[in-house]
Amino acid sequence: MRTFLPAVAEQLFRDIQKIYEETTQTLTLPSSRLRRLKFVFGTCALQALDLVDQRSVTCLSSPSGRKAFQVIGGSGRLYTCFLSCHYCPCPAFTYTVLRRNQGLLCKHILAVYLCQAMAVTQQESVSDQQMSAVLSGTGGP
Amino acid sequence: MTDILTLVFRTLSSQTGQNKDPSAVPPPPAPRSNTLVVGEHRLSRSVLLLAAVTAASELGVRVAFFAQTQIQSLPECLQRCSKITFSYPRTLEELLQQVASLHEFPCPPSLIIIDRLDGFLRGAVASSHVGFHSGDESRAAHLAALLCDTAAFLTEILEKRGSSSAPCRAIASFLSDADSGQESRDPSATDSILDVLDRYFQARCTLDQDRSYEAAAAAAQEAWHVYLSGAKILDDLEDGPTLAQEWKLFIFPEGLMEFKLV
Repeated sequence: MRTFLPAVAEQLFRDIQKIYEETTQTLTLPSSRLRRLKFVFGTCALQALDLVDQRSVTCLSSPSGRKAFQVIGGSGRLYTCFLSCHYCPCPAFTYTVLRRNQGLLCKHILAVYLCQAMAVTQQESVSDQQMSAVLSGTGGP
Repeated sequence: MTDILTLVFRTLSSQTGQNKDPSAVPPPPAPRSNTLVVGEHRLSRSVLLLAAVTAASELGVRVAFFAQTQIQSLPECLQRCSKITFSYPRTLEELLQQVASLHEFPCPPSLIIIDRLDGFLRGAVASSHVGFHSGDESRAAHLAALLCDTAAFLTEILEKRGSSSAPCRAIASFLSDADSGQESRDPSATDSILDVLDRYFQARCTLDQDRSYEAAAAAAQEAWHVYLSGAKILDDLEDGPTLAQEWKLFIFPEGLMEFKLV
């Protein structure tokens, strides 16, 4: 995902990705990276890691090549996030990020970044029409 | 998109002015950013139509133009232009569906234009003046993010095809309650919507009418200030200089428009 993130956050994700690429075993996140994650993203860092553990992030792709992420939230609700910019329909994104400008992103978008870095994103194919419905918020798989 | 707007302004700039002046400094290249046009609707719609025509004729790119109300006085040449597709979604949901489905088309547009974002976001058509409510931030973000993501995806497609039409840009107009002269129930709601849109549109084009005697002095009917601001001039430089251009627009009685770089 092309980002609107500060350089420190981008570097953190690159570090995490490097750790997971260099090991053949599934490890928990090193405590140093965990501390940095909590420092940069605050309380949503642990919530996002829970979503990662639950394998809650799916990358949808359609024959046209269009992609989008879907995240199953803690309540079981499905949230659609975009590839190239930050958006999530969850109340936390609206309130904390858009309205109060007090956070960079919500736990769902952070979970997307982390799943991508750790290569644990689920994959699912949908038709072009289904993808259009997902992107517009009028439907989905 | 600011590159297309700058091309519009340069194309319509005075032939007796700076174009013939060898010492005149051309404006710096404008970045290819998504742009929000803010200001009075009568003029912003004209700017959007000029952008569509310029993009289709000068750059040869396909344009998808979305508006909530039909353009009644569309010139016949525009109606026949195969490179510009006009669509009139009635609601925000219809607009979202139509923008979201642009990836399904074999010949994608290189320019996506949306006239009067505010009309779609208010959730009403034409004459309603209910103003913005605080819950509209999420709707504004969804639409703006979808535009942004769609433009990014179509850029990838155009680049993969080796098309000279890349990148895909988006331009939208937004009329605040203040510009429309309407009283909003919540005056801060419009500012919060603009703040949300600014997250996704890298550049802004502000139209501000000049109410001094400058129009009369130029034998024009109206004079406007046109400000381009926001995006970095060189997209690949994190700390590059930001765009800041000012143009003057004169509108003459016969409808002729002339831009001058300030």
